[in-house]
Amino acid sequence: MVVAPQEVTNKFQFAFARIFRWPLSIGRNISLSARTRQPLGDVVSRREHGQLQNHLANVTEELVEKHRKVEELSGLRDRLYALEGAKLMLADVITGSIDGDNKLIINRGESDGLAMGQFVLGDNSIIGTISEVSARTAKVKLITDPSSNIAAKIVGLDVETVIQGDGKDSVKVQLLSIKHKVKVGDDVYACKKPGLLDTAIKIGAVAGCKRDDGNPLLWDITVKPACDIKKLSDVAVVIMNPRQ
Amino acid sequence: MRWLRFAVFIVIVTVLQAGMVDILAVTRWDVKPDLLLILLVFFATYCNTSEAIITSFAIGFAADLIGSAMGSQIISFGLFGTALAYLHRVITIRKMPYQALAIFITGLLAGTLAHLLTLLKNQPTPSNIYAVLFGTSLYSSLLGPFLFLPSAWWMRIKTHRFSRS
Repeated sequence: MVVAPQEVTNKFQFAFARIFRWPLSIGRNISLSARTRQPLGDVVSRREHGQLQNHLANVTEELVEKHRKVEELSGLRDRLYALEGAKLMLADVITGSIDGDNKLIINRGESDGLAMGQFVLGDNSIIGTISEVSARTAKVKLITDPSSNIAAKIVGLDVETVIQGDGKDSVKVQLLSIKHKVKVGDDVYACKKPGLLDTAIKIGAVAGCKRDDGNPLLWDITVKPACDIKKLSDVAVVIMNPRQ
Repeated sequence: MRWLRFAVFIVIVTVLQAGMVDILAVTRWDVKPDLLLILLVFFATYCNTSEAIITSFAIGFAADLIGSAMGSQIISFGLFGTALAYLHRVITIRKMPYQALAIFITGLLAGTLAHLLTLLKNQPTPSNIYAVLFGTSLYSSLLGPFLFLPSAWWMRIKTHRFSRS
């Protein structure tokens, strides 16, 4: 099994997740509810607050983008909402990241229109991409995974960069020169990717920014994801060109 | 050995490990006890050698099903479960502190080997893997001996079979 290709051995894991979907989901929901403090009646929960904040940030970024487009390409029509034509496929998380491997297994698969590379949203922010897919389940590679590389940009900067997971619960921005002004709290967005994402969507916010020890000409930027990925019980997969 | 009971038991524990052990997570690294590791040591210390070897590989397979990559745990659990079973021929691990020590050492060794085998498959591993491994082994060793008695009850294994008194 060690030498067998990952896509072959994954079938065992997918089969287990599919067969025991119900007890796994119930167990995960119990775990999440046990770890989540019940909110007071007239107070918005932290999660809902985070969702609204992320939605606001996404809409604001989209607005800025639209303003720029209007200025540059006045007269051309474009969709008001970039994700309007996309389908958001809701999925339950069957198993969360186990042993810190920064992956989720969800209860949607190829038969629901999922394909590798599609972006996955949690609480209105990007949390990862589909890395493996079977007929009825799929594996999500989280942005915190060390092998995850996503094109991203920091708000206010005209330069795109790449973010990579640090294997824990944060993300590192790579190869960004110190000539760019970055400050803690700046929002970080996943860049548009034709066919997969038609608008920039928030990933998180800059949590730390210092000069890179290895290369003082580059920033060492730590980004905190916009939602608590470990507490997600459901996610949404962005399908840009859904089958009719 | 009652193999049907064993199969049901392993399935239940695997589902619990994958879905519910998060409740018991502690520290900022979310260190959780490894129920399958505890069972590995339990069967290695309370079964005869051939049964212990079979159960070790079976538990390793179950651990692979909920792990990051298939193959690594079945080898590491199988190897160290077998080693523990042979060691049990020489040393009787009956007192709870010794059981805890056996779980801790087996957890560290099996976890390290599984990590190295996972690297062979080019699967990413977290940078703080050894800290998590240490925490998991320690947590499992503290919890494990208390789970031996209910496990023995379910498997109808007499824990005092080799008692001198």
